[in-house]
Amino acid sequence: MLARLHALLRALTSRRDFEAGLTEELRFHIEQHTEDLVRSGISPEEARRRARMEFGGINTVKEDCREARGLMVFDELERECRYAARQLWRNPGFTGTVILTLALAIGANSAIFSLVNALLLNELPYTHPERIGTLYARTSGPQSSDTRRTIDGEQWERVRDDVPSLLSAVSAMRTSGVNVRAGSVVQYLHAGRVSAQYFDVLVLHPVMGRNFSEDEDRPQGPRTAILSYALWETAFGGNPNVLGQTVLLKSEPHTIIGVLPEGATTPLNADVYTALQPGREGEGQAANFVAIMRLRDAATWQQADAELNRALSGTVRARRVASTNPGARLTYYSVPLQIAATDTLRPQALALMLAAGFILLIACANIAGLTLVRMLRRTDEITIRLALGASRWQIHRQLWIEHLLLAFVGGTAGIGVGFLALRGLLLLLPEHFLPVASVSLDSRVLGFTLSLSLLTSVLSGMWPALITKRVDLRSGRGVIGGGSIRLRQALIAGEVALTVVLLAATGLLIRTLIGLQTIPPGFNPTGVITAKASLDDVRYHDPAAFRDLLTESLTAMREIPGVQSAAVGLTLPYERALLDAVTLSDGKEAGQQITTNEVYVTPRYFDTLQVPVLAGRTFTDADGPDTQHVVVVNQTFARKFFHQENVVGRYLNKNMLIVGVVADTVLSSEARLNAGTAPLTSEETIYLPAAQMVNVRFLTLVHGFFQPSWIVRAASSKGVPARMQRALTSADPQLPISGFYYVKDLMAATLATQRIAVAVLAAMSSLALLLSAVGIFALVANIVAQRTREIGIRMALGSTIRQTMIQVGRSGVGASALGLLLGLILCAGALPAMRSVLYGVGVYDAPTMLVVVLTLCAVTLLATTPILRVARIDPARTLREE
Amino acid sequence: MLILKAVSLKPLHGYGVLQRIRQISGNALEIPQGSLYPALYRLEHQGLIAPEWGQSENNRRAKYYTLTSAGRRRLREEAAGWNRLASAIAAALRTTSKEV
Repeated sequence: MLARLHALLRALTSRRDFEAGLTEELRFHIEQHTEDLVRSGISPEEARRRARMEFGGINTVKEDCREARGLMVFDELERECRYAARQLWRNPGFTGTVILTLALAIGANSAIFSLVNALLLNELPYTHPERIGTLYARTSGPQSSDTRRTIDGEQWERVRDDVPSLLSAVSAMRTSGVNVRAGSVVQYLHAGRVSAQYFDVLVLHPVMGRNFSEDEDRPQGPRTAILSYALWETAFGGNPNVLGQTVLLKSEPHTIIGVLPEGATTPLNADVYTALQPGREGEGQAANFVAIMRLRDAATWQQADAELNRALSGTVRARRVASTNPGARLTYYSVPLQIAATDTLRPQALALMLAAGFILLIACANIAGLTLVRMLRRTDEITIRLALGASRWQIHRQLWIEHLLLAFVGGTAGIGVGFLALRGLLLLLPEHFLPVASVSLDSRVLGFTLSLSLLTSVLSGMWPALITKRVDLRSGRGVIGGGSIRLRQALIAGEVALTVVLLAATGLLIRTLIGLQTIPPGFNPTGVITAKASLDDVRYHDPAAFRDLLTESLTAMREIPGVQSAAVGLTLPYERALLDAVTLSDGKEAGQQITTNEVYVTPRYFDTLQVPVLAGRTFTDADGPDTQHVVVVNQTFARKFFHQENVVGRYLNKNMLIVGVVADTVLSSEARLNAGTAPLTSEETIYLPAAQMVNVRFLTLVHGFFQPSWIVRAASSKGVPARMQRALTSADPQLPISGFYYVKDLMAATLATQRIAVAVLAAMSSLALLLSAVGIFALVANIVAQRTREIGIRMALGSTIRQTMIQVGRSGVGASALGLLLGLILCAGALPAMRSVLYGVGVYDAPTMLVVVLTLCAVTLLATTPILRVARIDPARTLREE
Repeated sequence: MLILKAVSLKPLHGYGVLQRIRQISGNALEIPQGSLYPALYRLEHQGLIAPEWGQSENNRRAKYYTLTSAGRRRLREEAAGWNRLASAIAAALRTTSKEV
């Protein structure tokens, strides 16, 4: 058996040697025989003749020898592959179109599938991820909701102590940018605050040291830090004696107690971890903690949910929900982290996958159509082959081989296209947008792509293959494709309908994006440069030190040549702002507590951004910590809570005097103060003077959430960032800047999600449009080719070229029109689902629809150009052929 | 079997095989020249004989076949099988009416 396999392998690998050897061996035989005959007295001529005759047909013998080696199948396959390749090569138009169609369709699919794979299919990189959950709550009643919940200090204590089925931990909602000083190096890094047992929930054991202890996690507990492996390598050079050393985080010394394993990830993905030290005070008063839980051995999720619900139903927060929404029922339950982490992205990912799948179907239908046209043109060839004795199976095999070859080349090109598309897509996505570390073309994606290619080749080859069965040898002419025109028209109508939906959706998203981008920002972003720095630093918990830093750094910045003005603000327009509760002390709703956006600013903030002042004044250097506390409100705030009455001179929080009203500026609505608002919006905002930030706890808290921005307005940006850095360093040498931006770029960052949606959907709908056009083109070309005789006869009977063209073109235009109609009906049903992502444009937007219809008409007309071939049909020749 | 036997005596090229078979069978058996080579290739494919290029008696390059160990085994089996069959037939032919 082994010897046999060996012989086969050798035979396969040394094909050419074999042929040469065979020829030589046989020649040797004949010459030997000739010599022997000559020796026995026959003339050389005669001997040669006899030798040859006795041997028999050399070629037959050779063929028998080849067969004896068991290589016939391979020989034939190779021959057929070569023939198929030659056939395809000879039709570059067809081959190119099919390969391009396949590459685009398969590429789109493999790119989208890579995303779906990374988001939904790949397991989270933790031990037993299916046993890790997070907290959700469902409210039934008038305002029902079902979302992931963050919890406050009291709720955390309940979850920790009263849910025995779960090992629970909490972390801060997001990492915060902090300045980390190890030795003499100060770095700006992402710090994550996690409770004790956080790493136990994830089953992460430090390679060195240990996890946070209960004691370290208590408020005012000892300050300790756990390093990520990468930070340990870069900042400490992988020093094995790092445990017990001190690192300065926010200028506070923290003792290093552990180093995480290489490549270890957490939902926070921070560079360095500190103990959260959650309590009921400060941040613990609000729902600022994110819980993760691991199901203990032998416990079930049902048990855990029951315990969670019991533990949390008695909390203050739950009681408040119950009192503010009478009749509502609040149910807490756990959801696997895998699902929760991708919750918001899953519908988009699946919708994209669906769209990609439809594109693949369109591509299959098209390739089938194109193949059909080609088969028709090859009817003669097939008839001749059949007449020469080829079996139908051989003809079929030939077709299948051509299709497999196309699918293989198309699939390979598709992987390339997919790779590029994925790279492009990931470049578009903002950092930390996806909850996974990386998206790659792994073996599952490659396998998916391969099976897709096979599927397309089967789907698109099946039909033409079935149709060759009908080729009739005797009539000499095939009846290929006769009855299938109607079916193809229906397919194309389907393609067009889908294209219409995609185009309309894209159109609406583009309108939304344009609308958002052209919202008047309420200030002049041109020429404003901003730098952020983290003040989450123990030295700036002191309000006086904070004030000094602002004064010194701003004075230095104002001296930079070309700088017209400089200021500091906690947040800027286009960003999300701090939400805070204030009490109205005046007006109709006096005494009511409301939530508003809140920003602290230095006096020249409004000048620097050129925000128009509508009434009263803005802040001056005279508004200090010891003078009357003042506040500036924006127009929306004034209108919403004071109903356009004169608001200057009124009070908030009893003692804060409103001194001015400024115009609205756009904010990111990421914080979702008002539900259902556009990603950029003008919301109620109050401005406080930075100098009057005298509450230590407040200052500490907001600097944990936000890094304030230094802004300068400069005539030219040349050299300004470096000088800003120097000015900040002169005020505090240990304050690294976390990044420079032009304020106008902030808008782009805020609208990133919308831009990506537009880009992806636009790419998909263009692809669908292109494929539909190819489909119509193929249909019309097919009809022209098929009806050449009929058209010839018609024209011979007096029909004009124009009439004939219209007659032929009608099938394509008809299919397209039907598709358009179907598409519009589909739009009416499907587009309302988009309402939540549209801003400033209705679902049934007439201009968008008009553009869609016009685009489709133009493309249809372009795609029916094969009717021009009608002009080249010579009636006389057609009749002669008849 | 005959080819295997011929080759078992000494490595031979194709033409040599024909002559040897004619010789050892006392000119009684003659293989049609055309069908020799496919047979050789089949045996080679089955791993019973191994080809090797060498010099012929008159200094020409020629392909020589040698018996492999698998071939030797097969030859033994087939020879034994043939002998059994031959003696069985011989015994059958020897029987006379008396013995029935």
